[in-house]
Amino acid sequence: MRVDIDAVVNGRNHRLSVVPSHSLLQVLREDLGLTGVKNGCEEGDCGACVVLLNGEPVNSCLVLAVEVDGCEVTTIEGLSHDGELSHVQQAFAQVGAVQCGYCTPGMVLATQALLTRNPDPTADDVKAALVGHLCRCTGYVKIVEAVQLAAEFQRSEGVTMHE
Amino acid sequence: MSDTLIGKRLPMMDGPDKVTGQHVFGADFALPGMLWGRVLRSPLPHARLLSVDTSRADRLPGVYAVVTGDSMDFPKYSVAGQKLLDDQVLATDKVHYVGDEIAAVAATDADTAEEALGLISVEYEELPAVFDPVEAMNPGAPLVHEEFGTNIAVTMDFERGNLIKGFLEAYAVVEDEFTTPMVHQGYLEPQAGVAAWHGDRLTVWISMQTPELARITYANGLGITPDRIRVIQMPMGGAFGGKLEYKMHMIAAVLAKFAGKPVKIVNTRREDFMAGTPRVPMRIRMRVGAKKDGTLVAKETHIIAGNGAYTNYGPGIMLSAAHRHDNLYRLDNIHTRAQLVWTNMAGTGCFRGFGNPQSHFAFESALDMLAVELAMDPAELRLKNSTQTGDLTAHGWVIGSCGLSDCVRESTRIAGWAEKWPNRVTGDTGTREVAAADGRFARGIGIACCLHVSGNRTFLPYFDGASAFIRINEQGRVLVQVGETDLGQGSRTVFAQMAAEELGIPVEWVHIATVDTDISPHGLGTFGDRATTLGGNAVRKAAQAAREKLLAWSAQAMMSKEGAQPAAASAAGGRSLRMVEPTRRIRKEDLKIKDGVIYLPEDPDMRMTVQEAVCQYSYDHAGSTLNAEGDFVVPGVSMVHPETKYGNISCAYPFVAQVAEVEVDRLTGEVKVLSVSAAHDLGRTINPLLAEGQVQGALAQGLGFATTEQMVTQGGRVTSDTFRRYHMPRITDMPSIRTVFVESDDPVGPYGAKGLAEPALTPTAPAIANAVYHAVGVRIRDLPITADKVLMALETKEKLGEARRR
Repeated sequence: MRVDIDAVVNGRNHRLSVVPSHSLLQVLREDLGLTGVKNGCEEGDCGACVVLLNGEPVNSCLVLAVEVDGCEVTTIEGLSHDGELSHVQQAFAQVGAVQCGYCTPGMVLATQALLTRNPDPTADDVKAALVGHLCRCTGYVKIVEAVQLAAEFQRSEGVTMHE
Repeated sequence: MSDTLIGKRLPMMDGPDKVTGQHVFGADFALPGMLWGRVLRSPLPHARLLSVDTSRADRLPGVYAVVTGDSMDFPKYSVAGQKLLDDQVLATDKVHYVGDEIAAVAATDADTAEEALGLISVEYEELPAVFDPVEAMNPGAPLVHEEFGTNIAVTMDFERGNLIKGFLEAYAVVEDEFTTPMVHQGYLEPQAGVAAWHGDRLTVWISMQTPELARITYANGLGITPDRIRVIQMPMGGAFGGKLEYKMHMIAAVLAKFAGKPVKIVNTRREDFMAGTPRVPMRIRMRVGAKKDGTLVAKETHIIAGNGAYTNYGPGIMLSAAHRHDNLYRLDNIHTRAQLVWTNMAGTGCFRGFGNPQSHFAFESALDMLAVELAMDPAELRLKNSTQTGDLTAHGWVIGSCGLSDCVRESTRIAGWAEKWPNRVTGDTGTREVAAADGRFARGIGIACCLHVSGNRTFLPYFDGASAFIRINEQGRVLVQVGETDLGQGSRTVFAQMAAEELGIPVEWVHIATVDTDISPHGLGTFGDRATTLGGNAVRKAAQAAREKLLAWSAQAMMSKEGAQPAAASAAGGRSLRMVEPTRRIRKEDLKIKDGVIYLPEDPDMRMTVQEAVCQYSYDHAGSTLNAEGDFVVPGVSMVHPETKYGNISCAYPFVAQVAEVEVDRLTGEVKVLSVSAAHDLGRTINPLLAEGQVQGALAQGLGFATTEQMVTQGGRVTSDTFRRYHMPRITDMPSIRTVFVESDDPVGPYGAKGLAEPALTPTAPAIANAVYHAVGVRIRDLPITADKVLMALETKEKLGEARRR
């Protein structure tokens, strides 16, 4: 059995016929081929699969696809516009906050959401926002640095980030 | 050269791909028409397989293949170079641990494959199981593999100098037992692979540190010749030693063969915890003696290591644990006995450090105890004994560069050791009473050191070293192929820096290919800190050879008369070639390359771009690229002696000292690591940005090893099989980190560079353990250092104190 849902994924309208037991993670990866959404644990422990659901970060492994009917979903693939890296993407790449890159999409999206709410986060704010994201490569030092640099980029441009 | 690329803080070149989600990892890869595979694993730790009935699974719509140990003749095999053959792709007579592979299914989608697994019925005869290596050594213990007649898979025993004489010279002797648990690499991308057959040739697309070793191993496991296997390495979402040969890839291959279609398998996180290759757990008994002035005189070690059910890299890892740390200090009288023991647990394997974190935890803790006995500053004790450049160690290691003393000085300097480690020694016996304030929280500081290798010849029989191909196309773009893979640590960026440096071109022109065993040189892959030193030297030599060829060609072209080589002149547009008198000789040695321009320094007009030169070259060679290769045969290194373990096993040895500061809560026993000051002798820093990242990331893993990580098991079943129950450090757990690089300029390493990434986690745990002792006077000998252990030790200490006062 499949259920039809309508969702806006990365700015495009999609009508999706989904298996009711499938998670948003499965549908994004397997049905829409958006493999930038990473599968790390499927239990909500690692944050690798985080996407923005109506602008808020969620573990897509813990959301059933049928739940996003009528919602807006942003994955890492929807973040850069016209081939330009977003401020957050730019900052992560620049300061070495990326090593293997598997946790990066989730981290970048969660950072995006944080900076929308809080354009000038302290290191503790950053840590609170990213505590649900595991990274086994970096020791997180450069991730905190990247988030604060992205905030600086954003402030210096004097605009809030695009969704 | 001021504008050198060596030492430049260059962001990782594939960073943009990674931040945009375009990087296709092994777990992301798919082929048209691909099926999904799932594996049926044993729920029992030790049982005879009476029957495996797959008939109901076979009939499920959407199922293409169900395979068991009877589906074909599965030879006994082990990982590359390992002579103890105790493993099989699918179990035949017995299952040996909870997670052992019994059967597998390929179906149109993962749900159907999962459903089919539930339709397979297996009849077992449960057998007594053994989980603790020490118990497994007892006579009468259940035998994991009856055919070997013992659970002791490997015994090593070697001696140097005169142990008894050494101990007789000792003023102080310490002895204790230390244990380290099974811990998991915790890579975020689960184990994954896609397999497909084309005729009788197999191709696997896999997240793999060592594609060539995988080819050898999979040929052995499948009973085919290696030339029939092509391994295409996919980018890895973390590896840390966990992504060497893995049985799942062969199961995918078998399913693909039977299904006649490509098959993909991805582990669930629980499967990764249950059936991965965790760090070899060890029980290490150590006795160390020193003279009154701190000179180390004797050391005796007994290691019992848990091999798990199947021999993976355990023998190499145990050797590393048994003898590497002996070379850290000047020490002549040594006896070591080490035993690798089969149990009914998952086969253990490689994890960053390769046995060194286990043994250094024991040794560096023991040295701290020795410093207490001698009433000596533990940093001074290390400086007193530190190995130095030019030493020939007791095990025959030739130390070409050694910055250990500088690492001790630098790490203590940036940590403020001189202030924070006040001289609290009292009494003639040298027993130190820790005089931290009586409040609830006590702070302490501790130091530990380590060394490692840059590639090593201890367990792989084939060769060491590395080779690289380089190809410059008519656009001047450079493709480098090397057998050493990028695990996410950034070796491709480092290799590109080296190639661009030698060729005098912008680094953006260089692309480092991922490994494809049909195309790439036969490289051993990335482990044992080989990438930068061995792979780097190969890339450097290949680039130098290409440069020679390019300059020879350019010199020729510059000397040519106009019209003499019409193809060349027209290819270059004829503009930049200011032709000279035929009498004028330009030798390739006279030419230089900078920023992609080839020029004669004494004549600024005599220049051509690299693109012009290679374009001419290509047109004159019927479209060929300008090709060169480089091989780096490690000098002065030979295979370790099979019995005595004597021999110079590596061409360059990195050294580390780390100082940890902790705060211990006396009420709860909790340990908070406040800071780690790390000094690393990496020979030469090729890329400080990436090098810092290696140290920071390793410290996080070291912190986990020290304080929170442990694979908890019950009846052989791993119960800490999720990230919620297996506690890897999160962003809120990190201490402040200070890093210093000590550049000892190794004579063999490329530009002087040695390994960095592996040893960076090794001294973290003992530094923290020593800091806990400094804070509250209790020594935790059993990792991880959890609150309950500290609290219990504090209570025992208090009771002992009361008893003494009475």
